Amino acid sequence: MIRHIMREWRFLLGQNNLVILLCLCCALSSFAIYSGHQEITAQHFTIERLQLAQQQDQEDILAKYKTPGSLAYYQFHLTYQTPSNLSFAALGERDLYPWKHRIRMLALEGQIYESDVANPELAYIGKFDFSFLISVLAPLFVILMLHDIVANERSNGRYELLVVTASGSIVLWGYKTLVRFLMLSLSMLVPFYVGAALNDVPLHDVFYVSILVLAYLAFWAVLTLWFGRHSIFAPRIAATLIGFWVAVTCVIPITGNVLIEKNIEVPKGSEILLLQRETVNQAWDIPAETSLTEFIKTHPEYEAYAEMSEGFHWKWYYAFQQLGDEAVAHLAFDYRNAIQTKFDLGNYIAMFSPPVLMQRQLSRMAQTDAISALRYEQSIRDFHQALRLYYYPYLFELHSFDESALAEMPQYQDFARL
Amino acid sequence: MKQNLKSIQPVIIWEIARDEWRYWFRSKLAVVALLIGLACTVLTVVVSVGDAVELEHQRGHAQQQSEQTFVNQPDRHPHRMVHYGHYVFKTPPPLGMVDPGVDSHTGNAIFLEGHRQNSATFADQKQSSGTTILGALTPAFVLQVLAPLLLVIMGYGVVSRERETQTLSILAAQGLGYGNLILGKISALLLVAMLMLLPLAIAGVPVFLHGEPLLTLSMFLFSYLLYLSIWILIIVSVSLWAKSNSISFSTLAFTWLVLCILMPRVATNAAGVMVPAAGKLEKDFAVVAELRQLGDGHNAKDEAFAQLKTELLNKHNVNRVEDLPLNFRGLVALKSEAEMTDILNRYAEDRMREELQQSFFARQFGWLSPQVALRTLSMLTAGTSLETHHRFLRETENLRFTFVQKLNQAHTNKLNYIDDVNRNKSQEAGQIARISAKNWNVIEGFMFRPSPSKERALKAMTPLAQLLLWFGLFCIFLRNLQRHYS
Repeated sequence: MIRHIMREWRFLLGQNNLVILLCLCCALSSFAIYSGHQEITAQHFTIERLQLAQQQDQEDILAKYKTPGSLAYYQFHLTYQTPSNLSFAALGERDLYPWKHRIRMLALEGQIYESDVANPELAYIGKFDFSFLISVLAPLFVILMLHDIVANERSNGRYELLVVTASGSIVLWGYKTLVRFLMLSLSMLVPFYVGAALNDVPLHDVFYVSILVLAYLAFWAVLTLWFGRHSIFAPRIAATLIGFWVAVTCVIPITGNVLIEKNIEVPKGSEILLLQRETVNQAWDIPAETSLTEFIKTHPEYEAYAEMSEGFHWKWYYAFQQLGDEAVAHLAFDYRNAIQTKFDLGNYIAMFSPPVLMQRQLSRMAQTDAISALRYEQSIRDFHQALRLYYYPYLFELHSFDESALAEMPQYQDFARL
Repeated sequence: MKQNLKSIQPVIIWEIARDEWRYWFRSKLAVVALLIGLACTVLTVVVSVGDAVELEHQRGHAQQQSEQTFVNQPDRHPHRMVHYGHYVFKTPPPLGMVDPGVDSHTGNAIFLEGHRQNSATFADQKQSSGTTILGALTPAFVLQVLAPLLLVIMGYGVVSRERETQTLSILAAQGLGYGNLILGKISALLLVAMLMLLPLAIAGVPVFLHGEPLLTLSMFLFSYLLYLSIWILIIVSVSLWAKSNSISFSTLAFTWLVLCILMPRVATNAAGVMVPAAGKLEKDFAVVAELRQLGDGHNAKDEAFAQLKTELLNKHNVNRVEDLPLNFRGLVALKSEAEMTDILNRYAEDRMREELQQSFFARQFGWLSPQVALRTLSMLTAGTSLETHHRFLRETENLRFTFVQKLNQAHTNKLNYIDDVNRNKSQEAGQIARISAKNWNVIEGFMFRPSPSKERALKAMTPLAQLLLWFGLFCIFLRNLQRHYS
């Protein structure tokens, strides 16, 4: 067997165009891994810098504002989603969904849709990462490399001779295919292994990614060989396969996406913001008691403290901020739900589109997809809720606010999750 | 070649082109490919134009409603209206129907309020099912990426087929000139390209009716034709150079892969690595630090305004703020908003400059890939580029500053200082510290319009030069390939 493999390996080295293709695959994979690693390193650094800046900001704020009401008003809290170990290989949608946010105690719905994302032009073109290389480009490389194995021998007139002289079809085609397939896979996987080592990816993840990649490429290899088993004319095989590739990478996902888009009702984002703004601002025009009574309904423990003696009190201010959020809670829920529903429906599309399936698998593993973005958003919501629960007793003056109280302020780190 | 140019005979060219078409009609692959290609363009044009018209209507309506609500607010303290804020929407330009550009990735609504520059929110793309890994359903995508592939599948064999079946030497022996042969093959493919472009040209009618000037519209259509012509030249050159159909096809498929799929993304990555840009959040810290030096505009007692106070007292020759003929709190709001906006604008401009630098870097890859060149050209002429988004941000910022300052002006001149200071004493006092709703008439109808067509056309000169260079290079290249015709 080794002998056959070594023979095919020598044949492969003799074919310039194949060697060039392999080198290119390796170069592309290296570039994808390199720039993915750079991007993730930059994100880590950004988070570190933000934390430092946040600390400085915190000190300034704490020195300047002493009452709970004004502290809550002026103090922004930093939240962020640290990229996972594997995200260098699948940058996913982190250029679309924000992974860093600063929020404060005001109505959350007015803040959470602010998005600090990258250059829209670059996001629109899309990034070139390992998952893109594997799911979109690699099939084309497999096609280019394997489609003419049989057809070439036929068109060169050697086919009959080879079939008669060789001891079996495995020896004849099997080893050739195997060598080409393995070389192609390795040329793309080796740079990934380097990247994985640099990013401390757990071994089982590396193993799982390798299996996924090999299985996916094997699917395309089998498809190519099956299409090419009888045909004499190599370009026709390749053109048909590329047509198939266009269908599963472009036509099916895009059409599916349009179908989902047209059929799933999504509340307009601006409606959430407008309603939230109306509720919050209206509070200034109606008697303060009305808002406070409304607030007490959900927070009965403050009933005894809801009296307003002057025209302005922070407890009233934050109470109507909370009411603003509550007024749009159902819309906001529907909005997030729609993202989730669309993502789930996308899974069905992926069933018909191997490249989309592969891409989604990888970005799921790397936790860089819409689902992770929703989880991050949920963690912000949880943190904001905790802030409210922390501040309310002080705002309603059940306890006095002092240094010891400051130490108990919730920290985002305890809520962060991928 | 010179003699050949003189011997160019349109009849022969026509015959050759017709022959090519006859071949395509007999080949199942070519017919299927052509039909799918046409279906894709027609479908995308119909869907996108329909969507865009609806979107324009929706946003226009939302805009009107937003203005109405603002003006209809009851009597209030003027500063309440500063925080009440105003919504504006981005209406897409007419050519955005066929090339939405960055618009799906930027938010299309922006909330304008005092003391803050919000970013545009709710990008459509966030509500996508996350399955479109290669591009969206737009005529621009189909024509930039899929049409070249279609041309490759149909045209890889234009010359190599004749060589493989040994009809090429017969043609040469019969005295068919190189120029005639090549022009014939080019014409055949050009007809395919024109067919693909037809739906786009038809979409030009609604685009024109929605107010797109002829200059940009024709430039837009011309650039797509130029782009597909470049691909035709590439295809004919490779087909002429290749020894066999197989080599021709593999080379062309590979070229397509590199130029249309790979290069644009490599450009993005390279721009990200070479021109790093700090996010808005990071800048916000710097902004906040600078702003804190300014003093809080809500607090007229802030030390930062002490100098203003003394100057004013001296000027009006009074001893107490209460005796000033204007509302000092309003004046503080006016002054601090102006200073704050200066700082915010400086950072915003910084950020936009960084984004542009990144994009410019990525756009240089247009010298290496005609797809990158066309994409830039298309977005720039359509008015759906990053620059247009930046203009949207600037115009809305201008609007924000104007209405906030008009409200602060009203605060200064129409609200009594003592009433203002006492506004929180009781709820009745709060009622007194208000001004009439008539003052809310400070927002003019906002309508985001595309920049003048001349300006857009001028901006698009670099990518146009890139495309022309590609075109010229392959013309020369093709001229020098004559030795392969034998």
